[in-house]
Amino acid sequence: MGAVFEGKDKEMTQALQNLFWILIFPGFVFTVCLGLVASWIVRKVSSLVQWRVGPPFFQPFYDVVKLMGKEVLIPEEAQQTVFKAAPVVGLAGVLLLSTMLWRITIDPTRLFVGDIIVAIYLMVLPSLALILGSSASASPHAAVGTSREMKLVMGYELSLVLAFIVVIIKSGGQLSLAAIAQQTPVFSISGLLAFLAALLCVQAKLGFVPFDMAEAETELASGALIEYSGALLAVWKVMQAMMLVALPLFLVMVFLGGFTGALWAGIAKYVLVLVLLILIKNTNPRVRIDQAMKFFWFYCGVVLVAAVILAIIGNSYGINWL
Amino acid sequence: MNLGKILPILVFLPLAVGFVLLFLPNKIKFLSKALALIISVIAFALGIRIFSLGQLDYSFPVLQIGNVNLELLLSAKPLGAFILMFAMGFGLLITLYSLKVHAIHNTNIYYGAILLTIGGSAGILLSNHLLFLLIFWEMVTASLYLLITTGGKNSNFAATKSFAMIGASDAAFLLGILMVWALSGTFVISEIAKGPVATTSSIPIIAFLLLLTAAITKAGALPLHTWLPTSGEYAPVSVMALLPAALDKLLGIYLLVIIVREIFVLKSAALGVVLAFIGAATIIIAVMVAMVQHNLKKLLSYHAISQVGYMVLGIATGTPVGIAGAIFHMLNNAIYKCCLFLCGGAVEQQAGTPELDKLGGLGKKMPITFITCLIAALSISGIPPFNGFVSKWMVYQGIIQMGTSAQAGGAAKLWPIWFTCAMFGSALTLASFVKLIHSTFLSRLPEELKDVKEVSPLQTGPMIVLASLCVFLGIFYHVPLKYFIYPALDIEPGTAIFGTWASGLATLLLVAGIIIGGLILAVSLLSRKVRIVPTWTCGEVQTNDQMRISGTHFYKTVSSMGGLRQLYTGQEKGHFDTYNQSGRLGLALTEFLRWLHSGILPVYLTWVTLGLLIVLFIVCKIW
Repeated sequence: MGAVFEGKDKEMTQALQNLFWILIFPGFVFTVCLGLVASWIVRKVSSLVQWRVGPPFFQPFYDVVKLMGKEVLIPEEAQQTVFKAAPVVGLAGVLLLSTMLWRITIDPTRLFVGDIIVAIYLMVLPSLALILGSSASASPHAAVGTSREMKLVMGYELSLVLAFIVVIIKSGGQLSLAAIAQQTPVFSISGLLAFLAALLCVQAKLGFVPFDMAEAETELASGALIEYSGALLAVWKVMQAMMLVALPLFLVMVFLGGFTGALWAGIAKYVLVLVLLILIKNTNPRVRIDQAMKFFWFYCGVVLVAAVILAIIGNSYGINWL
Repeated sequence: MNLGKILPILVFLPLAVGFVLLFLPNKIKFLSKALALIISVIAFALGIRIFSLGQLDYSFPVLQIGNVNLELLLSAKPLGAFILMFAMGFGLLITLYSLKVHAIHNTNIYYGAILLTIGGSAGILLSNHLLFLLIFWEMVTASLYLLITTGGKNSNFAATKSFAMIGASDAAFLLGILMVWALSGTFVISEIAKGPVATTSSIPIIAFLLLLTAAITKAGALPLHTWLPTSGEYAPVSVMALLPAALDKLLGIYLLVIIVREIFVLKSAALGVVLAFIGAATIIIAVMVAMVQHNLKKLLSYHAISQVGYMVLGIATGTPVGIAGAIFHMLNNAIYKCCLFLCGGAVEQQAGTPELDKLGGLGKKMPITFITCLIAALSISGIPPFNGFVSKWMVYQGIIQMGTSAQAGGAAKLWPIWFTCAMFGSALTLASFVKLIHSTFLSRLPEELKDVKEVSPLQTGPMIVLASLCVFLGIFYHVPLKYFIYPALDIEPGTAIFGTWASGLATLLLVAGIIIGGLILAVSLLSRKVRIVPTWTCGEVQTNDQMRISGTHFYKTVSSMGGLRQLYTGQEKGHFDTYNQSGRLGLALTEFLRWLHSGILPVYLTWVTLGLLIVLFIVCKIW
C-alpha cells in the first residue's frame, strides 16, 4: 500500500517497473498470448469431444488479426463514445486483474495492488463493460442481451460471495491473496463445495455454455455483441481470451493452493480448471436466464450455506477436513 | 480575540435570514435567491474556517430552573467540524443548482427553508447540549416539511407523511434524552462522554433504542424509511439531493456515532445484533425494491435508503476499520447520491418526465449529465477505483475483523450473514443502476425527446464538482482518511486497514491498459473507414418505437420469481409501510371511539352505570 508514497526517484523506477509488468510480463503481451493459446485449447478440446479435427494452433491469432483489418460499422443511433470505449475499459480491467494475480503468484512476499475483495470487484469490470457497450449500441437484440448479462451477474454474485466466505473462514480472516494461496481449501468438504460453486460462477463469468444466454447465437444473434464489428469486436475477443487466463488462475490461487509448489504442478492445476470448464461447456445445453438465476440463488445458495456452516464448525472445533 | 464567537454566527445567521425569507412576499424572488446564495457562501467559508481552527468552544447561559441548567453550548469537535464543512458545502452546491430549477413553487419559502436547514444542521453538528441539539434537529425536520411542499401538486401528502414519521421519531428522541439525563444527571454531551451509560439493564437499553429510532429515521434506515420514497416522488429533486441524500445522512449517522461512542457503551450482545440486522436488512430489502422501480426519482430514493445500511453495519461492527469505513461511506454516499439526484433532476427538467419508460438515449443530448451520472452510478455500485468502493471495502474488512477476532460476541458469530448481505447488495445496486443508465442515457432516443438540450452551467457545475470528488476521494482515499476521518474518530493512521488496495497504482495500470487498448483501436480505426449504418434488425422494417427496449422490465425475472413475487406485491400495496400500518391502527381506534360516542343517551347511561358498579365493587372489595 505504501508503495505509492515513497521517495520520488524510487517512484520513477517503480513506475517503469510497473509499466514493464503491465506491458510485457505478466501483463498485456504475456496474457494475450497465453489467452489465445487457452482459447485454442478450448476450441481443440471441444472439437475432440464432438469428434471433429478442430482448428490449427494459430487459428485464434488469425481470427484477431483478420478482425483488426475489417471495416468497423457503428449504428447511427448508438452512443458512440460508450460504444467505442466499452471494449477498451473491459480490456483494461482484465489486464489489471491478470497482472495483479500473476505478480502475486511470482512474488508472494510483496503486496501488489489489492486483496481478495479487490479481485472480486475487478472481476465485475469486464461484465460491466460488456453491459454498457451493448446497451450503448441501441439495438433491441443487444438490450435483451444487456438485461440477461446483468441478471446473470446478479445470480452468480451471491454464490461467489458465499464461496469466498468459506475461503476467508478457512484462512482465518486473511485477505491477502498470497496468504490465501498458501492453503488448499479444496481438501475439505466445505472447500470442495465452494470450489465447485465458484467453478460454475466462473463458467458464467466467461459466458460459456450453459450460461451463454447473453450472447445466445440462436435467438439473439450474439445479443450483447450484435452490433460490434472489426477492430472493436477484435478487442472484445482479446478481452475474452484474457479472461480465460485470469479467472481460472484466480480459482487456482484461491481454492487449489496456487503455484506454491513446483511450477509444473501449478500449470497442471490451471489446465485442470480449464479442462473442467471446457467439459461443462460441452456437456450441457443452454439454460434460460430465470433457470440460471434460480440455480445460483436457490440450489447453489443452499449448498453454499451448508458449506459455510460446515466451515464455521470445522474452524471452531479444529476439524480441518470439514 | 475570542474565536469561539464564529460558532453562533454560523448557526444563527442562516437561521435568522431564513426565517425572514419565509415571510417575504412571493414577488421579490431575486432578493431571496441573492440572499440565499450569499449566506450559503458565508456558511461554507465559516465551515472551512471552523474546521481549520480545530477545537473551539462557545457558551451562553440561557436560563436555569432548579438544577437544570439550560446553556447554549456550542463546540467544534473533530467529527462535528469535518461533517460541518461538507454539510455547508452541500448547502452551497444545492443553492447554486436551485437558481436554475423551474419546478419550485413558492421560491421564498424554498430558499428560506434551505437557509433554515443550513443553520439547523450547523447547530446540530456544533451543539454540545442535548436539548439544543434536539431543538436544531426539529428545525431541520420542520424545514424539510416546508421544502417538500414547494414541489406543488400532491407534495402536501408527502410532506405530511415525512413530518409525521420524523416528528414521531423526534418524540422518541426527546424521551430518550430525558432518560439519558435521568441516568447520567446532565445534558452536556462531553460530560456524559466521561462516564458513558452502560447498556446493562432495561432502562438504558430503552433509552438507547429511543435515540437509535431518531437517528435511523432521519438517516432513513428500515423499518422507518417509508417517508423517503414518498417524498422522493413529489418533492423537487434539489430538495431530495440536499436533505434525504446528503444532510439527513450526515446528521443521522453523526447522531448514531455520538450515541454509540459517547453516550452509551454497548455492553449487550443483543443490541449489537439488532444494529447489524438493521444494517444488513436495510441494504438488501431497499435495493431489491429499488431494482423494480419505474420512476427515476423513486429508484434513487430507495438507493438512498439502501446505502444507509452500510453505514449502520459499519458502526455495528465496532471495529476501528468498520467505523472509519462507515463514516467514510457516509461522506461518499452524500457526494454521489447528491450528484445522482441532481442528474435525475436535470433529466426530469429537460425531458419533462421522471418515468423511465418514456426516457432513453439522452447520453447524446446531455453528455455532461450522462458522464457525471455514470461516475456517480459506478461509485454507488462500488466499482473500483471510485470512492464508493473504498468505503465499502473498509466496511467489509470491519465485518471480517469482527467475525474472526478472539472475543467474538453475538453479532460477530453471524458475520457471514452481514458480509453476504453487504456484498450481494452491492451487486444488486449495480444491477439497478445499469437499468437506470440503460433506460435514461443509452438505449434509443424516443421521438418526443429529439430536441432535448443540456442544462445550464449553473446546474452542471455542482454535478461536475461532485463527480470529480467521487473520483478524487476514490483514488486518493488516504487523504480524506488521514485528514478528516482518523482524527475525528481518534484512530492512529495505518492501524485500522488490514486489506490491500493500492488505488493510485491500480488507477495507473488501468489507465495504461486503456491506453494500450485505445492505441490498438486507433491504429485500426484510422487506417480503415468507419461506416455509420442503421441498426441491424435481421431484415425486418421496424419503427424507432418498436425497437426501443426500455429497461423497466429488465428485472421482471426477479420480481416474478416464486416467493419473491408475493413480497413484491405486498410491498407495492404498502403492507410493509409503518406509516400506513399505524395509520390503519389509528383509524381502527377512532372507529371504535366513534362507535362508543353514538350520541344516544340510554347507551351513555348504561356505560356510566356499569362504570359506577365496577368502581363500587373495587372500592368495597366485593369478590
